[in-house]
Amino acid sequence: MTALLHRVKSKMFIFAHRKARGLLDGEYGSVFKGRSLDFDDLRAYVPGDEVRDIDWKASARHGSPLIRRYVAVRQQQVLLVADTGRNMAAESLGGEPKKDIAVMALGVLGSLALNHGDPVGLVHGDATGTQALPVKAGDANLERILRKVDDVGRHSAPSAPGEQLGFVERTFRRRMLLFVVADEGAVAETTERQLRRLRAQHEILWLTIRDADLTAPAPAADPAGRGTALRDVVGRAAVVHPVAASPKVLAAYQLARTERDASRSAMLRRAGITEGYAGSSHEVVPAIFSLLESHRRGG
Amino acid sequence: MELMYWWILPVGILAGAAVAWWFLRRDKDCRHRAVAHTDRLTALPEYRDALRRHRRLLAVMAGSAAVLLLAALAAAARPVSATVTTPAEHSRDIMLCLDTSASMASADAAIVGVFQDLAREFDGERIGLMMFDSSAAQVFPLTDDYQLVAEQLARARNAFEGGPGDAAFFAGTGVAPGSSLIGDGLASCSQGFPGPDDGSRSRSLVLATDNFISGNPIFTLAEAAALARDKGIRIHALNPADFDYGDKPGQEGATLRAAAESTGGAYYPVDSPAAVGSIVREVQRTEAAARQGAPQRVVTDESAWPLGLALLAGLVLVGLAWRVDR
Repeated sequence: MTALLHRVKSKMFIFAHRKARGLLDGEYGSVFKGRSLDFDDLRAYVPGDEVRDIDWKASARHGSPLIRRYVAVRQQQVLLVADTGRNMAAESLGGEPKKDIAVMALGVLGSLALNHGDPVGLVHGDATGTQALPVKAGDANLERILRKVDDVGRHSAPSAPGEQLGFVERTFRRRMLLFVVADEGAVAETTERQLRRLRAQHEILWLTIRDADLTAPAPAADPAGRGTALRDVVGRAAVVHPVAASPKVLAAYQLARTERDASRSAMLRRAGITEGYAGSSHEVVPAIFSLLESHRRGG
Repeated sequence: MELMYWWILPVGILAGAAVAWWFLRRDKDCRHRAVAHTDRLTALPEYRDALRRHRRLLAVMAGSAAVLLLAALAAAARPVSATVTTPAEHSRDIMLCLDTSASMASADAAIVGVFQDLAREFDGERIGLMMFDSSAAQVFPLTDDYQLVAEQLARARNAFEGGPGDAAFFAGTGVAPGSSLIGDGLASCSQGFPGPDDGSRSRSLVLATDNFISGNPIFTLAEAAALARDKGIRIHALNPADFDYGDKPGQEGATLRAAAESTGGAYYPVDSPAAVGSIVREVQRTEAAARQGAPQRVVTDESAWPLGLALLAGLVLVGLAWRVDR
């Protein structure tokens, strides 16, 4: 019963045909500095591996680059942080529900972690409360995590991503890898101080899911039977499209969005947090790849 | 102003309200795209301004749609104005039957003068003129040739007033021995109406005489009146010299009255020629009233206003829809 995980993995597999299969693995492996000096074995170099890990002598003997592997001192714990409030049931920029993108992202990173033997946990919640799933290894645990994130609908309580970050800050003392998946509004609900404190304690990868463009022309009637009217998941207020599409409103909205993006990026950057973007589930794997890449470079 | 199909209004309004309610309901629980953070858009002052304008436009559109609906319904309900009109009846035959004895000249002139005026407004009525003394002569038969009528009436008036140069006018009225043979004269005048009464035209005879008979008429006045009654003729008798004294029967005036009333007509003693005008007009009025057609209800559609309003509202609606769509 690992339906969601299976779906995530098959999407990853499709992606892996386009880029090198091990690329993601390599990127993930080099994010963490928790390496011991106890040599374990050698394996073939995969693009994305740290160049300094190449065993040049062994490579010279072997004829192709080899990577030194060490026995990990300790397992890196990966804590997925997700918003499971009603906001995530809303549309993303690409048109699918944001929670689908969240499931994909958490699944990709979770399975990468499991591949590396790192246990994975989840902190999720909404305005009514924050829950945690224990940090454990195994596909069944990851599937459970993904199901929790997938179980979001219009019935869910409103979102409060700041609460979840506060919960993490208060609860987890040990250094972990935080993988935060949130929509564009999440950063605005936290303070820079909170982010700094979190960053001081943990490694943080932040994936922002793009919100739907409210001024975009309505798509043609689609067979899934969705209407074309936009309605807020929280306030139930409708967006009047002809009004939203008028040039003045459009310009003001674009300007506001640009400013919002800039201030969010700046805040995360000042806090030392690496941010990636995904507007649809197809963009998740490249987004995580570049997120890992820039995190390795930056941090 | 009334509505022919008034029930269309409530039915149409109910139907319109039902459709509107259905649309609103459908709009309320229709499938929609769930999005988050709409306040990022809806809180923009530009959006609020545009929304206000949009709402105003929609309100005007809804208003004109309602006006269009109501006006169309009003037009469909057929607003009509009903008037009851009594069509004037012009199918009358009038025979002037004038005693030309010397004592009657001024009264005859007055009667002819009145009919000269009346004939100008005739439209379908036929008028004829006969005169009699000891025998009857026809000046012109029943005709609707009003030019001829006018000419002949003018000539008659001139003759009755004793004007010069028309001595031949009275030719033929003194053929028989005697004078003022009223019964014969009236019988002859009655023959001026063609055939028996078929009911299609009213027949009235204006008889001006003083009923002083000298001679032996073939018909007595009563016989002549019976003849006229048989032909469906009403006799209106004008007597400019009513010298009856008391209520003894058999006097001239009383006989004439009896003869006239036996045909359904009336008897008018005339005190002066000047009174003739009003009497003749009154006779004409009663004759006209007796021959009035059945009142008819004429229904006229008054749909110009609602249709014009509907057109206006429709144009406004189309124009605004175009603006909203843009």
